Amino acid sequence: MTSLRGLFSQPRTRRRACWLLVLLCLLGLIPLQRSLDLRGGNEQALGEVLYLPSGRVLRQLSLGYEGLLADIYWTRVVQYFGGKRLAHSTDFKLLGPLLQITTDLDPHLIIAYRFGSIFLADKPPRGAGEPLQALVLLQRGIVANPEYWRFWEDLGFVYYWDLKDYAAAARAFQAGSERPGAMTWMRALAAKVAAQGGELATSKFLWSEIARQAGNEQIRKNAEDHLMAIQATEEIAKLNELVGLYHQRQGQPARSFQALVAAGYLRALPRDPSGRPYTLGADGKVKLNPRSSVDLSLLQ
Amino acid sequence: MRVVTIAIHTFKESVRQKVLYNLVAFALLLIGASILFGSISVGVEQIILITLGLTSISVFGLLIAIFIGIDLVSKEIERRTVYNILSKPVTRAEFVVGKYLGLLLTLLVNTAIMTLGFYATLYYQRGSLGRGDLVFLGAVYFILLQLAMVVGIALVFSCISTPVLSAVYTFCLFVIGNFSADLRALSQQTQSPLLATACGALYYALPNFADFNVISLVAHAQKLPGYLWLGNSLYALLYVTILLGLAIIIFEEREFR
Repeated sequence: MTSLRGLFSQPRTRRRACWLLVLLCLLGLIPLQRSLDLRGGNEQALGEVLYLPSGRVLRQLSLGYEGLLADIYWTRVVQYFGGKRLAHSTDFKLLGPLLQITTDLDPHLIIAYRFGSIFLADKPPRGAGEPLQALVLLQRGIVANPEYWRFWEDLGFVYYWDLKDYAAAARAFQAGSERPGAMTWMRALAAKVAAQGGELATSKFLWSEIARQAGNEQIRKNAEDHLMAIQATEEIAKLNELVGLYHQRQGQPARSFQALVAAGYLRALPRDPSGRPYTLGADGKVKLNPRSSVDLSLLQ
Repeated sequence: MRVVTIAIHTFKESVRQKVLYNLVAFALLLIGASILFGSISVGVEQIILITLGLTSISVFGLLIAIFIGIDLVSKEIERRTVYNILSKPVTRAEFVVGKYLGLLLTLLVNTAIMTLGFYATLYYQRGSLGRGDLVFLGAVYFILLQLAMVVGIALVFSCISTPVLSAVYTFCLFVIGNFSADLRALSQQTQSPLLATACGALYYALPNFADFNVISLVAHAQKLPGYLWLGNSLYALLYVTILLGLAIIIFEEREFR
């Protein structure tokens, strides 16, 4: 005991003992914190709560730093949305209020309106399934940024894609086409949507323009995913026609695509836009390969 | 024994500071004023009293912890009293631990006074106190654990920096510690492995105060889960040990001329 006390009376030994203690405690903190997180302690503290639900109050309290605060809130929106997506949750109750606060703090934060409307309008589990809230957000964006014609494109898109209101979509595209600086194809889009409504060709045109004009990688990727789904839908319809034709002419249903190739209906085994071969189900219907990255539910 | 002597002296020195009385008095005033705030609202009188009362205990406890904690070591060095103490058979580790325990005792006494004020206000509003009201002591206990960590942080900074900067650093770390859940979310959601590792490491290394915030829970008469009692107590103990260890290492390394 005395020798131990003597040992610790030396500063160097004491320092080493302290370092060891600090290290051990740090290592002990990791499993403890994980256990607390697993039991939901942190979720409870973080909660689905907005302590200050008004962006205008926050603006007053920000003492002139509302731009920075808007950026922080926008990051919070992205984290909230990303967290919900990762957790496969369909409850996005704070999304609308968080976007409202963000855009109250900085009414010129274009990205918050554009991405926010996508987050809000997409059907669960991809989004909140609140297209009406998306419309309100975009309309606020238009009021705050009347010169930004792309909000009209987004507005028309929500009407077209999520609400299937083709007349309103055509009106939005038309209104957008009349804004200064708007692309000429907006006018063509308005005419096409007004004339052909919910046809796949119209959707294809719409998504192609979005993919072509996208200034952001995520928006482009989303548009390309939709284009792949549209292409696969068209191809499946054509292949189903060929399978039906084979059945009609050969007097028996095709068991595989090899039979169609052998009979000269196809030049090669058909592949979907992601490169995976299509499959022929037992019911005689053409289906996507289970490992295909094409998501047909995007078109629902 | 020497640690206890230093702790008692630190406590006596702390209670002589006028700022302490001002802060406690203001906290009691705010707790009392929660009756007024409650009366101009509808249906949430009691919730306002509880949340405002417990928040006052937390905020003023934090201010006391920071403003007195930052002076713990730096003042002794500035006044050169540290030479006097260290010339006696007192190790630097005993000095640091004694100082920490002394301030912890100060906080304990002040929190007890503010808690008494809180319960007195509750009694005034309702005319009685029941067994169910003991749940608020749980929130006070978690506040104390939080304060114990804050004092530790202030002590570490007090060993390496000036009082003003120590106060700023301690407050910043307290704010960061309340947003630690965002760090965890960022580490899980980012696609950059480097950022994920950095955020993950920071999440575990920085103090996590979010788990200690239970004021809203108790205000709605919800019971505090058992794992939180045990987990938070253990967490605070480990974190305070780390902070004291760091403070001792820094203080041992320091040269006085």
